[in-house]
Amino acid sequence: MSGDAIVRLSGVGKVYGDPAHGLVVLRAVDVAIARGEFVGLVGASGSGKTTMMNILGCLDRPTTGTYALAGEDVSKLDDDRLSDLRNRAIGFVFQSFQLIPELTVRENVELPLGYVRGARATRAKRRARAEELLASVGLAQRLGHKPAQLSGGECQRVAIARALANEPALILADEPTGNLDTKSGEDVMQILFGLHAAGRTIVMVTHNPEIAARLPRVVAMGDGRVVRDGPPRKLAGSAAIGAEEAS
Amino acid sequence: MGLDALFDLLRLGFENLLRNKLRSFLTMLGMIFGVGSVIAMLSVGAGARKEILERIQSLGITNIIVNSVKPPAETKTETQAEQRWMDKYGLTFDDRELLDATCPSIDRVLPVNLVKQPVWRGSRRVDASVFGVLPEHLAMFHLEAGRGRVFNELDAVECKQVCLVRQGLVDELQLLEDPIGARVNVGRESFEIVGVLADQAFRSHTQKALAIDGRTQEVYVPYTTSMRTFGTMTFVQKAGSEERTMVELDQMIVVAKSADLVRPTARIIANVLERSHKRKDYEIVVPLELLQQSERTQAVFNAVMLVIAAISLLVGGIGIANIMLATITERTREIGVRRAMGARRRDILLQFLTETATIGVVGGLFGCLFGLAAIRAVVLYTGWQAVIEPHFVIVALAISGGVAILAGLYPARRAAAMDPIGALRYQ
Ligand SMILES: Nc1ncnc2c1ncn2[C@@H]1O[C@H](COP(=O)(O)OP(=O)(O)OP(=O)(O)O)[C@@H](O)[C@H]1O
Ligand SMILES: [Mg+2]
Repeated sequence: MSGDAIVRLSGVGKVYGDPAHGLVVLRAVDVAIARGEFVGLVGASGSGKTTMMNILGCLDRPTTGTYALAGEDVSKLDDDRLSDLRNRAIGFVFQSFQLIPELTVRENVELPLGYVRGARATRAKRRARAEELLASVGLAQRLGHKPAQLSGGECQRVAIARALANEPALILADEPTGNLDTKSGEDVMQILFGLHAAGRTIVMVTHNPEIAARLPRVVAMGDGRVVRDGPPRKLAGSAAIGAEEAS
Repeated sequence: MGLDALFDLLRLGFENLLRNKLRSFLTMLGMIFGVGSVIAMLSVGAGARKEILERIQSLGITNIIVNSVKPPAETKTETQAEQRWMDKYGLTFDDRELLDATCPSIDRVLPVNLVKQPVWRGSRRVDASVFGVLPEHLAMFHLEAGRGRVFNELDAVECKQVCLVRQGLVDELQLLEDPIGARVNVGRESFEIVGVLADQAFRSHTQKALAIDGRTQEVYVPYTTSMRTFGTMTFVQKAGSEERTMVELDQMIVVAKSADLVRPTARIIANVLERSHKRKDYEIVVPLELLQQSERTQAVFNAVMLVIAAISLLVGGIGIANIMLATITERTREIGVRRAMGARRRDILLQFLTETATIGVVGGLFGCLFGLAAIRAVVLYTGWQAVIEPHFVIVALAISGGVAILAGLYPARRAAAMDPIGALRYQ
């Protein structure tokens, strides 16, 4: 499985500010994620989950260690290469949706298609692709609406459609259900489970122990380190994650 | 970057512009006034320049015009008797011959004999300035017959009593029949109208040069006829007494052999005349010098205009830069999202530059409309000439687009330099 790893973090450290005296957020993190995995990232607030997601998403570079995405060491890539990599290989889903309010739902989904280098699709093809993606998340009727006209759950489904636009190798979701009610959150989870079933690789940060418990693999962070990595403990109640974090 | 991508950028620019129309309009306002005033100034400046040029060029670039001028009263040095009988001043036939004989750079000298005579037709009387000129004078100053013909050498040699008039005289005399061939009395002599001059708007150079009252009508007759019929003496009834003046040559048009020789020739003429005239009873007008002088004035005018235009465009540019900085702060999260979706720094830079360029060019277009309206108003209320050339609009649009891009450069660079993580987190 290590040979097929889509993500390989080796000794990744992250220090904010001056490397010697700055705030150490990650220390020597080693994680490998294989193609098709659905990994939950848990941990106390401030434990470095978002920091790690930023590194995984090529939005940030590790201070130390290396990060290989699909076999390619991205630690040394320049800003433009990282941009291209995000466009091609990463799909982001954020807690706060991050849709552009001035654009319609379809235009939001088209966004990553417009930044493809080289073989960029024509405008008509991009529109068709966006419509197809929105239909797959059940929003075929809302193409021309603005994000403000949609419910939170619908916004997050648009964001997922957008994340899928360029068929990314890795989908990164940072608390995708954090801003949603239980019902909408469940809709979003169903879509993510569906994507996993279809063979996509997903890394998802969650604070919700019930959701974490349903994932095949959970990586728990604590004090900048991976404190546990494996199938979720079948612990009853919401104390489960807290117990993990404390360890 | 492909055409498709450029088109996308432009579409984005326009959509942003239309999204917030009031703000876009206010952002453009500086540009609108800047470009508007540039266009208005360019056109009015070009109009003034054209008018001056036409006026000067109508005097002829290789010409030197020497006018007889009545000297100031206190400088009169003639004997009492002479003075009472006749006031003689101005250029003489000797002057002409001397110049013709001594100055090799002179091609020829055209004399003009001017008399003021009433023109009669039945009981209608119109005051006129009657110019006695050589036939070639007509061609030189583009005095062409709109109807009928101009007089020629034959008329001149035979001292025929023929005349050229302007339409205004025909109207004032209330000639109902065809004026060509009609006979009118000039003074006490009968003349045949052989032609009506073509251009009516433009008054003759001589009239301007001699500062003749613009209300009198112009009549052109052959020089020879004028000399034989009217002579060189003028009698003016004034408050009971009769004022007699004698001017041998009212005007000489000295034609230099080339434009380069105009200035030296003018100097020679000045020297020759200074020696032979005790009083300053002549003036030398050099159209070429007037032209060069007006070009210097024009250069100063242009420089002032340029500064004013630059300041107004600078103000417009600062306005745009200010709004763009605010816009970029407001749209920080959008920038973060676009970067996360794979936009390079360059893409963000181009996006905002296109937006500002769009604002600039659209503002420039409105500015052109504003400028054209301002020109109309100026022309309507002041009667100035204005020349609107298509390239003014193109220049104005290019400048406004350029200024906008310059103004947008700093905000766009700031947007492009944003850290995507920080931008995504921006509240
Ligand atoms: N740009 C930054 N500069 C300095 N410190 C930072 C920066 N970003 C994050 N941190 C710090 O790094 C630590 C980890 O932050 P991170 O956002 O990764 O935590 P998290 O695990 O995602 O927490 P949460 O569950 O609350 O989202 C925090 O203490 C935070 O204050
Ligand atoms: Mg976080």
